[in-house]
Amino acid sequence: MSAGELLLRAAADAGYYGMMSKLFGAQVRGGEAAALVQISTEPVSCQPDRFDLFVALDWDKVDQFASEIPLDENTIIIADPQSGPTPPSIAKSKARTIPVSMSPGHATPLECALQGKHTNVFAAGAVGALVGLPVSGLQAALVTVLGGKSVEATRTNAAALEAGIAAAAGLDLDMHLSPAHPAPRWLMTGNQAIAVGSLRGGVRFVGCYPITPATDLVEWLAPQIQKLGGRLVMAEDELSSINMVLGASYGGVPAMTVTSGPGLSLMVETIGLAIAAEVPAVIIDVMRGGPSTGIPSKTEQSDINIAVYGCHGDAPHVVLAPTSVRDCMFTGEWAVYLAESLQTPVIVLSDQALGLAYAVIDPKLDRPQPLARRTDLSVGPFKRYAVGTDPVTAMPRPGTPGGQWVGEGLTHNETGIPVGGASVHLAQIDKRARKIAQFDPGPHWGSVWGEGETAILTFGSSIGPAQEAARRLAAAGQPSRVIGLRVLMHSTAPAASW
Amino acid sequence: MSTLEIAAPAHAQVLAAHDFHSGATPIWCPGCGDYGVLSALEHALAAHGRPPHEVVLVSGIGCSSRLPAYTSCYGFHGVHGRALPFAAGVKLARPDLEVIAVGGDGDGFSIGGNHFIHACRRNLDMLYLVMDNRVYGMTKGQPSPTTEPDWDSDIAPGGLGLRPFEPVALALAAGATFIARGFAGRSHELSDLILAGIKWPGFAFVQVLSPCMAFRSEQFGWKDSVRATSHAIEDDRAAAHAAAIADDGYSLGVLFRDHRASIPARPAAKASLTQIETQFMVCR
Ligand SMILES: Cc1ncc(C[n+]2csc(CCOP(=O)(O)OP(=O)(O)O)c2C)c(N)n1
Ligand code: SF4
Repeated sequence: MSAGELLLRAAADAGYYGMMSKLFGAQVRGGEAAALVQISTEPVSCQPDRFDLFVALDWDKVDQFASEIPLDENTIIIADPQSGPTPPSIAKSKARTIPVSMSPGHATPLECALQGKHTNVFAAGAVGALVGLPVSGLQAALVTVLGGKSVEATRTNAAALEAGIAAAAGLDLDMHLSPAHPAPRWLMTGNQAIAVGSLRGGVRFVGCYPITPATDLVEWLAPQIQKLGGRLVMAEDELSSINMVLGASYGGVPAMTVTSGPGLSLMVETIGLAIAAEVPAVIIDVMRGGPSTGIPSKTEQSDINIAVYGCHGDAPHVVLAPTSVRDCMFTGEWAVYLAESLQTPVIVLSDQALGLAYAVIDPKLDRPQPLARRTDLSVGPFKRYAVGTDPVTAMPRPGTPGGQWVGEGLTHNETGIPVGGASVHLAQIDKRARKIAQFDPGPHWGSVWGEGETAILTFGSSIGPAQEAARRLAAAGQPSRVIGLRVLMHSTAPAASW
Repeated sequence: MSTLEIAAPAHAQVLAAHDFHSGATPIWCPGCGDYGVLSALEHALAAHGRPPHEVVLVSGIGCSSRLPAYTSCYGFHGVHGRALPFAAGVKLARPDLEVIAVGGDGDGFSIGGNHFIHACRRNLDMLYLVMDNRVYGMTKGQPSPTTEPDWDSDIAPGGLGLRPFEPVALALAAGATFIARGFAGRSHELSDLILAGIKWPGFAFVQVLSPCMAFRSEQFGWKDSVRATSHAIEDDRAAAHAAAIADDGYSLGVLFRDHRASIPARPAAKASLTQIETQFMVCR
């Protein structure tokens, strides 16, 4: 993974776009893994369906990844002859293998184990040099990737990088990239991008419980939100985290939880409560393969049904999906504004592919219009759930004299007192439905790319591959467009804006 | 962010119990112990002196959990068993507020049992009042985790046959720093315990024996069983454990206090988001 990041970072600093996805084996820590890196002069929005270069640090357990790493007869494989022959699962691609010795010849296996062979850094150096990335950029990227490692570790890694760069010179290969178009860019994961968006939107409380592939989002967020004077709390479970979020939000602080499918299931009852009691909350769901514990390290758009229809009865709320890694910032920020201004939970469906994709993006500021919570106190007796022309009613922060209200999940009257009876129930259901009916996403409902009679309707991490498919269809004389939705539940997007 | 500014604690005001009364009519059965708890709470809040708009009452689901709407405070009637996490969210986001969670033994020790353990351990500055009637009142008479093993009911004819658990012992094991037991029928004493709990600078757990007249009318006899505890045990958790196990569950008063500090206050902001975002810059 470090080698992949090193390459991507060096390429990004040289002005290339790129994206890295990760494949992991079953071992909890360490163990086999594959980094899938793309470098391009254009923005990258999905994984490719072939690779030019495959570097095998070793062949251990490579079979499990073989079907997910598309190679062909034009692919070059670089492998250490000490690792043995190319396994059949890889060799069947008919790719050409070029032997390159990646470990220092003089080191004994024990020394290698103790000091680390840094074959990954060697390989990154070799590949970086092969594709023509500047040496200084590779060195700078190494320093960033190593973080604050010891002087000795930095020295040995730098030596491995040099050796890799030198080894590339001896190879009879021309893999130079087309010239880049350097401009200021950002390198970040989709998970980080959503976190940034939520902070821009004003989230200052996060309640969460670790779950792959959402964990690294909250691990990045924890120290950052603290720097901003906010708080991230690791709860005892998701039942607790979503209720903490509602409590903080009731207290007046924009609040968010972050989870994946199994956690979302546990939260559903409380999401319904947030709808009924009209409390803002942002729920980020980084989806993974289900059902049950499923396949946490792989992506799947597995929770759309629960997100849209999971609550009991008529439960109008907002469900959004980011359209790209870059859009995670916009959608994350917008989710906070919608939750606050509509006083309802907003579920954001990201997924493993978007969340863990490490991408070079254009940092051009693209931000939604800020929207805030209504907290004003009207004259006369305060009715938290008043049924009037505006279905969004004031929600005073505790501490406001005269604004006292009791949030209520039971069917309640305009004051918030639980009452039975169909007419009151209908009046409140109608109030909540009108909030969503009146919500006009405007141009933010989604995007259309391309032209043509045929359309591919899609959302989330499927947009990137759909765009690539449309591009190839167009090249083959069959123009097609991609309609990528950002708003996933029923909305009132006027057809004219399409 | 204006939402994060912490209001200066208001000066204590002269308040009366009726200032904390919402005027809504409780749905409770005549003679229900929860009336006594409501009255004791209103008196304690009046004595504490913070006005109703600075107090947030949070509850789950059950007869007892209906309490917040009967007061004039800010409140939240959430889902079954989750009052404590909601209350924790309020307190963490708004440390300036007086936060009180209330509920029943089913709500707090069965469906919400995990949250109870972790709230004890987290030790946030809040009060947790459990109206323990050893029965699920709202769903009309099923045994709870504190019900006697031989208590006969429709769902468990002849009794559950399970040993009831002792909330005080559980709270001790989970690290609670203030543990008291009161009785709904002794409203003045209960009010004093509640006030002590509100003032405690950490998680204060008050178990209130609060009879259910509809399904456990024999609990009317609790008035003859209860008695004051000899003394509160300070800091010695092992001694408090031994006392809790030896106790028959009817001794009243502050049972244990541990002067462990609550979690540290939230640090003030020391960076801007723009500064944080510079870490992503490449190809500058
Ligand atoms: C998730 C969920 N499960 C079950 C219920 C049904 N239910 C409502 S109140 C209650 C038990 C209440 O008992 P307790 O907390 O002891 O309060 P009491 O009514 O005795 O005051 C149950 C099981 C519910 N509301 N929600
Ligand atoms: S059922 Fe029991 S607990 Fe519920 S209101 Fe009646 S007496 Fe009180």
